[in-house]
Amino acid sequence: MTQISMLRRVAEPALWFVGLLVVWEILVRGFAVPTFILPAPSQFLTQMVVDYQRLAQHGWATTQMILIGFVAGAVPGLILAYLIARFRLAEQILYPVVVFIQGLPKITLAPLLLVWFGFSDFPKILLTALITFFPVLVDAVTGFRSIDKRQYYLSRSMGASWWQTFSKFELPTAAPYIFSGFRITVVVAVTVVIVVEWLNSQTGLGYLVLRAMDSSNTPLLFAILFVGSMIGVALSACVTLAERLLLPWKQA
Amino acid sequence: MNQVSMTSALSTGQTSVAGASITAQAITKTYGEGPAAFHALGPIDLDIKPGEFVSLIGPSGCGKSTTLLLASGLEPLSSGTLEVDGKPLTRPLSEVGIVFQDHLLLDFRTALDNVMLQQEIRGLDKAVIRERADMLFDRLGLKGAQKKYPRQLSGGMRQRVSIARALVHDPSMLLMDEPFGALDAITRTQIRHDLEMLWLETRKTVLFITHSIEEAVGLSDRVLVMSTSPGRIIEEIKIDLPRPRPAHLGEYPEFSAYAEKIYSIFAKLGVYKF
Repeated sequence: MTQISMLRRVAEPALWFVGLLVVWEILVRGFAVPTFILPAPSQFLTQMVVDYQRLAQHGWATTQMILIGFVAGAVPGLILAYLIARFRLAEQILYPVVVFIQGLPKITLAPLLLVWFGFSDFPKILLTALITFFPVLVDAVTGFRSIDKRQYYLSRSMGASWWQTFSKFELPTAAPYIFSGFRITVVVAVTVVIVVEWLNSQTGLGYLVLRAMDSSNTPLLFAILFVGSMIGVALSACVTLAERLLLPWKQA
Repeated sequence: MNQVSMTSALSTGQTSVAGASITAQAITKTYGEGPAAFHALGPIDLDIKPGEFVSLIGPSGCGKSTTLLLASGLEPLSSGTLEVDGKPLTRPLSEVGIVFQDHLLLDFRTALDNVMLQQEIRGLDKAVIRERADMLFDRLGLKGAQKKYPRQLSGGMRQRVSIARALVHDPSMLLMDEPFGALDAITRTQIRHDLEMLWLETRKTVLFITHSIEEAVGLSDRVLVMSTSPGRIIEEIKIDLPRPRPAHLGEYPEFSAYAEKIYSIFAKLGVYKF
């Protein structure tokens, strides 16, 4: 029963996807669309095989930046979320700053960061961190605030230390919210890293996009798109997997 | 016979055995400061003896819950003095178990793990507390519920788990804030009886908050009737009925007399407008 439903959950979207590629292939061939405008799936899938090494190398470079930037944004996001949710003073001081940062069109900071920090990984990491920070923070604040206030009466009556209250009451209560924030944010991070790589990189999928455009290699562009979306899906699946392992009660 | 062995098993925890006493003099609670201050409660005097079952009854908003939070040291007093076992209470009472109207179980822990939280946080002996937990599950009709998560249990079962959590560390005092308020009438009557039986064996001091006259009279040694704004205790009624008390309290003519008395106080307060 569960195996059948698992199979269906994987097979149904996969079938839709294959069907879409088939229709695409037929349309491109039927209307004789030029390859530099829209390549047929067979063309960019072939390209993926041909350029396997480059795609893997640059894809991995991009993935590393995503992971480092994501952690660099999520960790402060979680810490500040806890402070904002628990302490009025922290809320009053920090929230205006946080809202200001959120209001910034951060992607436009990219050129500035390049001027400041030059050709290094740092601008990529910093911008990814800035962009992932806020959604993680918002979901975590909601999570930490979802605790019934009377739980604190219970924990105090048990004589719980700060750490016990945090680890046994607050963090597990907030965890589902935190994970849902992670799941969305990690996909956004893919875009951010690729955009910054356009601007200043010798590595990564963004750099490869520029190379493909220079040589009007549209099939390679689509291959990159495909790899980028696979990275996003894989990272999101990792978050889901981690959530299942860490929060087993959600399954029961 | 079973009763007797249970008694010894339930009261030989490693913590205290006898119930605690609570003495409060002129305690008040005011929220906010200056002209915006809201005088919520008091002044109230309490004199609860060790092992006594005392109910606070009154209309919504009379400060029953606040009284409980003050008496347990979980909320600071605005004025007055409070002693537990003759010692001034300066920090939250820990020799205590609390049951709220909502079960407040952690949804990410199984029923047993919710109860064992007391052991984990207090650093008590795991084997001893586990044994008590199993016994309480038994006594409270929770057999087989150990590994279930709260949302897999019915409302009545959840509240039973939360009572087990409040008793597993063998506290000297049990504070209950409308613990049966969210349950259906049948479940309520059953849990009331189960609680009375447990209490008869362990004789913990119980401060029980309710808006049900039947519950108050059905369980208590003494009922304190409160009025609203600000909350004050306006009447004290000793309930002199044999125990254990039956499911259908109408069996006692005295019950009707007690209930009538509380009704008439409420009527005088204007709680009822008929």
